[in-house]
Amino acid sequence: MSENATITLELFRYHPETDSEPRYQSYEVPYDEDWVVLDAINWIKDHVDGTVTHRWSCRMGVCGSCGMMVNGEPKLTCAAFLKDYYPRPVRVDPLVNFPVERDLVVSMDGFMDKLEAVKPYIIRDDVNDTSQGEYRQTPAELARYKQFSMCINCMLCYAACPVVGHEEEFLGPAALALGHRYNKDSRDQGQSERLEVMLSSEAMWGCTFVGECTVVCPKHVDPAGAIQQAKAVGAQEFFKRFVMPKGAGS
Amino acid sequence: MSAGGGGGAGGGAQKGGGSARPSGEAFWWALFSAGGVMAALFVPAFVIVTGFLLPAGDEMVAAERAAAFAQAAGWWPVKVALLGVITLSLFHCMHRIRHLLMDVGMRRYAGALKLPCYGGALALSGWAAWVLWGI
Ligand code: SF4
Ligand code: FES
Repeated sequence: MSENATITLELFRYHPETDSEPRYQSYEVPYDEDWVVLDAINWIKDHVDGTVTHRWSCRMGVCGSCGMMVNGEPKLTCAAFLKDYYPRPVRVDPLVNFPVERDLVVSMDGFMDKLEAVKPYIIRDDVNDTSQGEYRQTPAELARYKQFSMCINCMLCYAACPVVGHEEEFLGPAALALGHRYNKDSRDQGQSERLEVMLSSEAMWGCTFVGECTVVCPKHVDPAGAIQQAKAVGAQEFFKRFVMPKGAGS
Repeated sequence: MSAGGGGGAGGGAQKGGGSARPSGEAFWWALFSAGGVMAALFVPAFVIVTGFLLPAGDEMVAAERAAAFAQAAGWWPVKVALLGVITLSLFHCMHRIRHLLMDVGMRRYAGALKLPCYGGALALSGWAAWVLWGI
């Protein structure tokens, strides 16, 4: 590799207020094998073209804001090294299955609604006041949901999932894993409320177990596994209600 | 990919609320799941036993073995077990096919596909029951 090696980045560009159509723009970026794709995009924004719009924050795989399609695959750009692509060009697109807001930035609104729909917080019938101390949990109880709580909302799994692209009602991998995470929390009493949402028509059953969500997840949340577990809970619930039907969900 | 992408995650989700009806998909999934266990554990065992082990070795001995096996299949608890394995595996298979068709663009017909898929599984199960009955 020569001193002045460069790598080509092809960025998806779209400014809805001026562009009638999206296009790709190529940039030559100094090649450094310690650089990640995000470093290259930041270099372009700082040195060549300040109009390039993208999201990022932590640069260390924690905040979940830098997700983009890198050569067609959903990736955290702060964890995608240039050396894995060099000397071929790197094409960067906004995450698929989301409406594009501007350049590499997508709208998260639908995603946020889906997260909210599963009531991702602890629900209790009785709320102890603080004088009674915390709700204790054993390490084994923590282990039942810990993995599913590692999600950073990067939305890579939504970009990887074909069902998300086809089925509006489908809540999607991260939201379902999050709902399941609270259902498995020993401190929670809200499972039946969440199941009302998760078990309705295509909200969860839309999943055809493609499994790509788990493949792309940078945090090893295994949303596909969470959905399978949640389906088993849902099937039990279905038969329970069939055997002893109760009034409108309590 | 074009701006605007797919409709999926951009669209709204239904907000929580007690009115959502639990879906009958749970029932089909339960059959699919049980059938998956059958198809993964018992079907390969049957293939190995009836396809390889029974006919192995000396022809006369193999014929005797096969006859003994056929006689066992005439015993009604074995018939019931066989029918269970066959029926659940069929529902597993047809559920998978239905979802495969949905993935390749027939999602709109998800409801309509139930009839040929699960109806097919039921019809083939009926045929299996009829054959087993006759043994
Ligand atoms: S489940 Fe994984 S891929 Fe999906 S949003 Fe969470 S961290 Fe990202
Ligand atoms: S910048 Fe925070 S995860 Fe990549």
